[in-house]
Amino acid sequence: MDIIVVLLPAALFLGGVFAALFVLAVRAGQFDDLDDPAERMLHDDD
Amino acid sequence: MRPAAAAGSCPHCGLAVEGAEDVFCCAGCALAAQIVAGAGLQRWYEQRQLPAPRPGVARGDWAAVPVEEVSAGSQCRLAIDGLRCASCVWLVEGVLERTPGVVHARVSYATGRSVITFDPELVGVGDLGERIAALGYRPRPVGAEATTDRDLLTRLGLAAFCTANVMLLAASVYVGWFDGMAERYTALFRWTQLALATPVALWSAAPFFAAAWASLQNRILHLDLPISLAVGTMYAHALVATPLGHDGFLDSLCMLVTLLLAGRVVEARGRRAAAAAAASLAASLPTTARRLTADGVQTVRVEELAPGDRIEAGLGDEIPADGVVERGAAEVRMALLTGESAPVSVVPGHRVVAGAPVVAGSVVVRVEVVGEETLGRRMVAQVASAVDRGLLPTPGDRLAPWFTGLTLAAAAVGAVGWSVAAGWGVGLQVAVAVLVVACPCALGLSGPVAVHAGLGALARRGAVLSSGQTLLQLALVDRIALDKTGTVTAGTPRVVAADDAVLRIAAGLERASNHPLAAAIRDEAARRGLPMPLASEIREEPGAGISGTLDGQRWCLSSGGAGVVRLDGDAGLVGLIRVADTRRDDAATAVAALRRFAPVAVLTGDHADVADAIAAQVQPDEVRAGMSPEAKAGWVEERRSEGHRVLFVGDGLNDGPALVKADVGLAMRTGAPSTLLAADGVVVDEALGPVVAALRVARVVRRTVRANLVRSVGYNAVAVTLALAGWVDPLVAAVLMPLSSLLVLWGGMRIEGRVRAEEAWTSS
Repeated sequence: MDIIVVLLPAALFLGGVFAALFVLAVRAGQFDDLDDPAERMLHDDD
Repeated sequence: MRPAAAAGSCPHCGLAVEGAEDVFCCAGCALAAQIVAGAGLQRWYEQRQLPAPRPGVARGDWAAVPVEEVSAGSQCRLAIDGLRCASCVWLVEGVLERTPGVVHARVSYATGRSVITFDPELVGVGDLGERIAALGYRPRPVGAEATTDRDLLTRLGLAAFCTANVMLLAASVYVGWFDGMAERYTALFRWTQLALATPVALWSAAPFFAAAWASLQNRILHLDLPISLAVGTMYAHALVATPLGHDGFLDSLCMLVTLLLAGRVVEARGRRAAAAAAASLAASLPTTARRLTADGVQTVRVEELAPGDRIEAGLGDEIPADGVVERGAAEVRMALLTGESAPVSVVPGHRVVAGAPVVAGSVVVRVEVVGEETLGRRMVAQVASAVDRGLLPTPGDRLAPWFTGLTLAAAAVGAVGWSVAAGWGVGLQVAVAVLVVACPCALGLSGPVAVHAGLGALARRGAVLSSGQTLLQLALVDRIALDKTGTVTAGTPRVVAADDAVLRIAAGLERASNHPLAAAIRDEAARRGLPMPLASEIREEPGAGISGTLDGQRWCLSSGGAGVVRLDGDAGLVGLIRVADTRRDDAATAVAALRRFAPVAVLTGDHADVADAIAAQVQPDEVRAGMSPEAKAGWVEERRSEGHRVLFVGDGLNDGPALVKADVGLAMRTGAPSTLLAADGVVVDEALGPVVAALRVARVVRRTVRANLVRSVGYNAVAVTLALAGWVDPLVAAVLMPLSSLLVLWGGMRIEGRVRAEEAWTSS
């Protein structure tokens, strides 16, 4: 069971990386518009 | 009737034209196609699902569009109306990006907004607007945008991450209660929980603390106060309990903050949409005027105008101030004065009002009224009040003072009672438990969840309301008043009688005109399948009519009295076209459906015989004819003084007073911009059906909100009793608290289903 002492911080660190990525994505404006990208992918850009 | 030859169609707007070949129906379409070809985007004509709208004039105050400096250049936002499919977005972006000086253009199909980055040295906002208008789409300046909710979303994201982990750890500790767990592991888990909960309590929950503090300073008991109290208590308790080796309420704390933040994010999105709509309408009104001075024409802000100034207004402008025409002739829509949307001719000596759009000709106006009374100022005041309306207290907020008082009293009673009976340590624990379980999470969520589900259900049915408060008010309505013009009727003239031959020539003459009657004639010709002949040498004179050459003859189309357009050939009168404002297709069924909710009255400024004719068709409970704008507002006021709650639906500027006086005012989308601002909501579809849907949805939502309140009060009664009895430990709290929220969410999610059930029931 002592392995939990290593696993717990490791899991939290990994999760924390994703939480940080989420924050970066929000700051970059990726959640500002949730409707258009779905339309946009349908036109083929030249 | 002259047999139509094999008809071609306009390559740009798709209108049928006479002749075997495809030719442009007007110079605007030809120019648009040239722009498309010049940008190398001809492929659009094959890809598009629908033909383009007919090109028109761009109007608006481009100088008022806020321009932001970004690294790549300047950036502005324009709203674009008339985008019909995803290909339109592709075209507008393509044309803009190939315009010299434009760095980047992004157009949103869903919101009709564009973000354009450009080099101000090479191109101006006005050029961009004109370029979009030349394609047939209608750009509008957008006012300052409400800021996005990135901050709230970040707080929510972090809270959600921490909450998920805290709950995993908490669940392990709870299992340990029954199965046994070594003390060092429980200690590790508890300290980790505390570490994870700290950012949630101190940073994610900060908006609640800030709002609670502000409400204390204003001496108002807001719902955020008991929420902050609970969060604060739980965190303080954990700070003491963790070092002592006791379990805290950290899992409940985290879940509470996360759920409440999710509710706030949903609420903020709805409010932002409403605020953006209001801001863009305000920005589309004239804020500058062209003043005539000794050295020529000077563009000034409306506020700088003084009585006696002479201003110029031409086709596509809205007259920026109230005044008297000095020179020129024009046709303007004076809906503010008359309520009728048909344009009237003005010549020197006539009065014009601010906000009246010029549909033909141009005039010089001597300004008479400026300052607070101008339409522009009234507009700004109305926008401000529309945004304030979103901040009215919800039913949950009204309960907050009672709620806070009762919770604090219960906590005090528990603390004193248990201190006397079992020592102060137990007393303190009971007080903490009471504060924790009584947290008004469900109360805080019940309003937003049900109301936003309702607003969503209503938006899908063609009506948009400015706030949730409006929806709740709507449920209490027991008198309905409908304006006639533009509400019961379509508000725009339609051809009711004309020979095909006459209509064909008229359509040919009117092919490029922006006059409302021209649109009616073209639409009717298109509906009858008459290809448009291409008249030449067209001359349009304001007030006099339009003339042109077709089939080797000279024709003249002019007004032949009210509701009649006459066509003259070389040898005199050829035929008449009768136009009228006819009732909406669904008017009769909608009025019948509305009468099931409340008595319906039709109010109109028209004569009694016109009103009676419409009344015979739609069968309301009451008809009032010959009513001035003040009389309509007076009627509303009278019903209200009798204790009724009134819904008023209207479209003209002259409905403004009644819309404001009524408990709920709904405006038709086709109405004047200022009407939309005075209203609590807008009917987006060209029909009355959404008004019926609005009443139906409102009643369902009101019932749901009430049921939610009863549920959360019932939950609290049980939970506080349990806490006072000393039975609430962290595990019980962790089960009880989400239970109340789930009950509320479940109620909110059933709204769409219940509305559907009612629709099925009433239509069967």
